[in-house]
Amino acid sequence: MRVDIRGFIKPLIESLIAIVIGILLGAIILAFSGYNPIKAYIALFDGALGSKYGWAMTLSATTPMILTALTFGLGARTGLFNIGAEGTVYFGAIAALILTNIWGNILMGLLGGIIAGIAWMGIPAFLKVFRGVNEVVSTIMLNWMAYFLALYIVLQKIPNPDDPNKTIAVPLSARFPIIIRGTELSWAFAISVIAAVLAYYVLWHTTLGYELRVSGYNERAARYAGINPKKAIIWSFLIGGITSGLAGAVEVMGRPPSYAISQGMANIYGYGFDGIGVSLVGRNHPLGIIFSGIFFGMLKAGATAMQIEAGVPLEMVRMVQGIIVVTVAIPGILDLLKRVVRK
Amino acid sequence: MEEAPLIKMEGIVKIYPDGTKALKGVDLSVRKGEIHGLLGENGAGKTTLMKILSGMLRPTEGKIFVNGKEVRFKSPADALANGIGMVHQHFTLVDVFDGLHNIILGMEGHGLFSKIDVEKAMEKLQKLMDDLNFQVPLDVPVETLPVGVQQRIEILKTLYRDVDVLILDEPTAVLTPIEVKELFDVLKKLKAQDKTIIFISHKLKEVMEITDRVTVLRKGEVIGTVNTNETSPKELAKMMVGREVVLRIEKPPKEAENPVLQVQDLWVKGDRDQDAVKGLTFEVKAGEIFGIAGVEGNGQTELIEAISGLRKIEKGKVILNGKDITGRPPKELYDLGVAHIPEDRIHMGLVSEMSVAENSILGLHWRETFRGPIGMLRWNKAKEHATKIVKNFEVLVPSIEAPVKSLSGGNQQKLIVARETSKQPEFIIASQPTRGVDVASTEYIRNYLINLRNENKAVLLVSADLDEILQLSDRMAIIYEGKFVGIVKPEEVTEEEIGLMMGGIKHES
Ligand SMILES: Nc1ncnc2c1ncn2[C@@H]1O[C@H](COP(=O)(O)OP(=O)(O)O)[C@@H](O)[C@H]1O
Ligand SMILES: [Mg+2]
Repeated sequence: MRVDIRGFIKPLIESLIAIVIGILLGAIILAFSGYNPIKAYIALFDGALGSKYGWAMTLSATTPMILTALTFGLGARTGLFNIGAEGTVYFGAIAALILTNIWGNILMGLLGGIIAGIAWMGIPAFLKVFRGVNEVVSTIMLNWMAYFLALYIVLQKIPNPDDPNKTIAVPLSARFPIIIRGTELSWAFAISVIAAVLAYYVLWHTTLGYELRVSGYNERAARYAGINPKKAIIWSFLIGGITSGLAGAVEVMGRPPSYAISQGMANIYGYGFDGIGVSLVGRNHPLGIIFSGIFFGMLKAGATAMQIEAGVPLEMVRMVQGIIVVTVAIPGILDLLKRVVRK
Repeated sequence: MEEAPLIKMEGIVKIYPDGTKALKGVDLSVRKGEIHGLLGENGAGKTTLMKILSGMLRPTEGKIFVNGKEVRFKSPADALANGIGMVHQHFTLVDVFDGLHNIILGMEGHGLFSKIDVEKAMEKLQKLMDDLNFQVPLDVPVETLPVGVQQRIEILKTLYRDVDVLILDEPTAVLTPIEVKELFDVLKKLKAQDKTIIFISHKLKEVMEITDRVTVLRKGEVIGTVNTNETSPKELAKMMVGREVVLRIEKPPKEAENPVLQVQDLWVKGDRDQDAVKGLTFEVKAGEIFGIAGVEGNGQTELIEAISGLRKIEKGKVILNGKDITGRPPKELYDLGVAHIPEDRIHMGLVSEMSVAENSILGLHWRETFRGPIGMLRWNKAKEHATKIVKNFEVLVPSIEAPVKSLSGGNQQKLIVARETSKQPEFIIASQPTRGVDVASTEYIRNYLINLRNENKAVLLVSADLDEILQLSDRMAIIYEGKFVGIVKPEEVTEEEIGLMMGGIKHES
């Protein structure tokens, strides 16, 4: 189907306005705290977009967030509030580490991420469909279980004998090639973009996607139309599991310098939550998610520059970013609320 | 010499927040002591206008005068203070409270400690009931009472607040013909007490019977106000619709053939786990329309959902063309030649956020035509299909890419009928097929159902609109509390008899 332009323009304008408001609010806070907002923002944008290096850092930060955002976005399109991406990322990363250490190639690593994602996301899917457990509750609890279980594996099962600060690393043969030398940007970025485009295709150009969207909008209409909403729920969880499992896999296979998980899991922590924001800003649309992912990546990549060039302390940078993110997510949140209220 | 009106509304404009212009400069004047009809099709703006008069909505523009004095209502309480009260189409009673507490709800005085005197309240209510010559139990939870009784409690609730002007929004929609008569008796008594009544309806017959004057609304505008005894149903219909309407339906006689659907001793439970369908047995033959009449909520919804695979069957059998289909899922039924026009078009028949094209393949999307390799959806085929059915059925759409929620109710319903017919069914379930649909579309849809019958399809029609059932059915059943009171031929019974049966009274002949 031709992409419906009218359907796009309104959310796009809303999101752009929200971005401007968010940036202005951030500026006000900066100014009140005694920093020069103009200087700070110039540092931010210049750091993130002003050079090849900046762009590379932005896009590499974007890579996992697009994938976790797809999990949330696909869920929302199916009428689910799936916030289980976070925990799934850990197992995707661990599985990729282990499989690449056995077979030493990229495909096996990706497969590991996919299988781990399906397995872990299968749990809330099962609980929802067969036990009627609300997915918000189950995925929050599973995120915590995942955290401690993964931490245990990282510390006890796959520690690096040569470096106490991290796990075993992905072997050279299974690492994504770097696109721009001297940066963290690897071809893993392509995986994210391909996944988003595929997700778009599935949702709008297959009968499965059609059934998912019908169930998401209106479960009664779905049943009436001969669609099994349970089947739709399972698919939504499983595809979502695949993308966030992949997020973990590409994070360890495509991010220099360590290609491993750090002891406290700091380098794979938080992407699931970032993904919710990215998806809301991208209006839960796979193609929108690519762009909002880049916006989020830009904020992350520019943080360092804002600190160094404008002398804004890290906490302040985080706060300003938080304000921008919340403001920018408001239209998406309202969308979501409208749907929930209507149910 | 014109009597000075008790209520005068001038130039009322109402634009809803979503941009819908529901009223476009409406003038209305109501005299003291009259029963004033407000007639118009669904969506004409009747409810909106009266919500403004009763203080629930504020007009975008326009003035309201009561007894010649301009008023501005900020809330229903302001309107009540001016003696204006409204009984809404959807009741506002608290199910688990008894009648008395529903009536005094919100009147316990304003201070924190002031309490209403229950005995005094009872006394006043008793007097009201005596004056109107009816009795309703005020000490049982209202949810256990029939709808007609609940409605009286709503009326009492309003009268208890000492109103002079009583607004009733489509009060007969949920009543049996007998209950309607009883309601009209109450209204006449109120009129005798010099109360003023505004009676909203889209039914010509009722308006002709009970009102003194009628104001006709169409698409947010007043077409005119006429004295009831100087007009005719035909003239009113013309004012309401804007053209000469001949709701004449051509129905050639036809011999029904072999049974297509057979239902045997069917038991189905409702949402509250009560028995909703209690052992129904009937069949629908090829080339006939089998109608089910009855007041809403007597098991029709559950019956249809059970037959169409959407609700669990506790006991009994459903057989389609000799094949047992009891408890089979909808998809299987569609493949066997069932089509279903559901009663709830917005929440079931359509996905209102999705486009006309997307909705046109709902429930057909898995068919060969629309499926490409690896589960791809063939959008070009879907669009061809949408374009074709929209054209064949004269569905008015801005474009087939437009979301279905941008269509009017009548066109939404036509879209469903078009889609369901495109399934090439042998057996069609049509549930409330013309509810909330404009007259032109109603005529179209009814004629279409007759066409299907003439083509030897079997049609099961469920409708709360008795005229529709009488007009279309070859045979009809009257359902009451989950059982058929009788199965008759429409031409062999009088409306009175059917009215009695709808109230559960057995037809003896
Ligand atoms: N809350 C609302 N928001 C937006 N539009 C509304 C709302 N209520 C009614 N409308 C629209 O206003 C018009 C008049 O509606 P209504 O007053 O309910 O008509 P009637 O009572 O004559 O059937 C319709 O087009 C309807 O869709
Ligand atoms: Mg109304």
